[in-house]
Amino acid sequence: MASITIKDMSVSYNKGKSFVLDNLSLDIKNGEFCVFLGPSGCGKSTAMHCIAGLLHPMSGEIRFGEEVMTSANRKGRDKTFVPPQERNIAMVFQEYALYPNMTVRENMSFALKTKKVAKEEIAKRVDYMAKMLSIEQLMDRRPAELSGGQRQRVALGRALVRDPQVFLLDEPLGNLDAKLRDQVRYELKKIQEQLGITTIYVTHDQTEAMTMADHIVLLKDGHIMQQGTPEEMYDHPANEFVAGFLGTPQINIFFCEVKGNILDAGSFKLNIPEHLRTCLVPYAGKKINLGIRPSDLELAKDKMDVIKGHVESIEPLGDAYLIYVRVGEQIVVFKYTGEHAPKEKELLLTPNMAKLHLFDALTEKRINR
Amino acid sequence: MPNDMNIERSRAGQQAQTVRVKPKWHMTVLHIVYYLIMICFLIFYMLPFWGTVMTSFKTNSEVMTTTPITPPTQWTLEGYASAMEELGVPLLTSLFVTLFGAAGSVFLGSICAYALSKWKFKFNNVFFIALVAATYLPFQAILIPLLQTISALDLYDNIWGLVLVHTVFGMPMCTVMMRGYYADIPDALIRQAMIDGNGMWAIYRKIVLPNTMIATITVFVFQCTSIWNEMLFALVLGGYDSKPATIALNELAGTMAAEFNVQMAGSLILALPVLVLYIFMGKYLISGQMSGAVTAS
Ligand SMILES: Nc1ncnc2c1ncn2[C@@H]1O[C@H](COP(=O)(O)OP(=O)(O)O)[C@@H](O)[C@H]1O
Ligand SMILES: [Mg+2]
Repeated sequence: MASITIKDMSVSYNKGKSFVLDNLSLDIKNGEFCVFLGPSGCGKSTAMHCIAGLLHPMSGEIRFGEEVMTSANRKGRDKTFVPPQERNIAMVFQEYALYPNMTVRENMSFALKTKKVAKEEIAKRVDYMAKMLSIEQLMDRRPAELSGGQRQRVALGRALVRDPQVFLLDEPLGNLDAKLRDQVRYELKKIQEQLGITTIYVTHDQTEAMTMADHIVLLKDGHIMQQGTPEEMYDHPANEFVAGFLGTPQINIFFCEVKGNILDAGSFKLNIPEHLRTCLVPYAGKKINLGIRPSDLELAKDKMDVIKGHVESIEPLGDAYLIYVRVGEQIVVFKYTGEHAPKEKELLLTPNMAKLHLFDALTEKRINR
Repeated sequence: MPNDMNIERSRAGQQAQTVRVKPKWHMTVLHIVYYLIMICFLIFYMLPFWGTVMTSFKTNSEVMTTTPITPPTQWTLEGYASAMEELGVPLLTSLFVTLFGAAGSVFLGSICAYALSKWKFKFNNVFFIALVAATYLPFQAILIPLLQTISALDLYDNIWGLVLVHTVFGMPMCTVMMRGYYADIPDALIRQAMIDGNGMWAIYRKIVLPNTMIATITVFVFQCTSIWNEMLFALVLGGYDSKPATIALNELAGTMAAEFNVQMAGSLILALPVLVLYIFMGKYLISGQMSGAVTAS
């Protein structure tokens, strides 16, 4: 078990012509469940492969606890490099990588056998994990005889039977169906908490990140957009990208102008609440972007700070309704938690003033605290 | 009403599936012509073989009086017995050289192919290009320096000399063939094995070899055939005591000009192992071993 420290790591697949990861620095605490989140192609797998020692960064340093695992200078030469087989990590690859010549049981025992763990101990751990992941009846099959979801669970089980310093999981639930995914997600989180092993989990699915993570690292084009706890990132997104990436349905963004104490979005006007006035002083007369989450809208009770819109469509979710409302030129999503969907075609909505997100129109950085 | 329509439709569908189109007369004629041509080719190719088999079972006097393709009136193994007298020791030499030469070149080729396909090292491309070039090397061009080298090593007229030469010259071809098979092993599998605590050689032993057994057998069979049938090195390096069977057979033809039954029996004896090997290995020469390893398959 160990903390993981990454310092100024840059990775290039073409000898420095372009960088997939650029000066990445990161601290992951011992025992933490850290999620690398980001759109496909942003460099999540690359970062993970560097931590595993499967890739050599051009520059930077990776430490497990106090121990330096990778350290490279600017020229791309390694000063220190511990090969992957000596790092004591367990990893689930995006493409599962099950050994086709071995049965499920042999696959799961392989790493432990390599480490010369006693036979009974191996059997005990493998059986326990097989039960946890409900793959006991598959133990004597070979990977070719398994479905995608089963293969994925075997790959997961193979990693979890180990007793590593670090778990690295690269989209391990990507091929499971929704129900199984929820179940395995819950099991995985429980097992990780029990074992207390530092875990890095890669996903592009913000729901997975929000539900499992102690610590989310949101990446885009090889840069960290923001990191923190799920709550921090949801409630205080550092920029528009983060605000848009976390939360379903997506946050509504309005282009506004600050006019004295009024936020003017064209199709509606809001009085700037007390707590936002000071931070908006430098933006007087300028454009800003206003973000309002669908769940932070409600039906207006009076005529103050209302957004007037025309209902375009309603999607029942079971416990709530997603109402798509046309406001001016823009479609706004509104999550309505009432018993019955409103029948009117014209709705008056009002935002929760405490939960407005203000972003600089140019830099897209957050304005309010 | 809609139900009826469904029934109607499915009946029509069934009929459409079972109806056979009656072939037009000119198609039938064309097919007959095709078959005639194929049968002609078959006879053309099989006739020499047929003649060989028939002759090998005749007595020497019958060989003189009949055409090669007529079956013997009196079947005899005389020819085989005489051929074995001449070919017995050379056949053992051939067997030994073939097995060890093929094993050596497949072993070295497999290791080279593994390194070249799964690991990056300096000048790996240069190595590979050199190996490919080596497979195109005409052996005649290096025959004299080779003979000198082998003599200097005191391996002339020695079985081990032949084994060494076949190992060395078979290796590039084995490497090129096996590199193709090894390239099909997903990199993720190699990485996973590393993560699971294995070094380069452990991965070769535990993952690469077991998953490419069929490829290895294929290449081994290929090597066996070419070494078994080889004449040039055999002739130049074999000398008298360690003479492979191909050379012995050739001498059989040269010295006993009239005994066609013995020559034909010898040819068949020499061809038999290769034939048997191909017939039994045929079913292994199929692919599809890596299924189930990664997402895409
Ligand atoms: N082996 C490789 N060679 C060259 N470019 C690569 C390689 N692997 C990944 N990349 C590039 O690096 C970027 C990040 O890839 P990756 O880390 O796999 O993204 P993610 O896992 O976040 O989807 C992508 O633009 C991809 O095209
Ligand atoms: Mg990826």
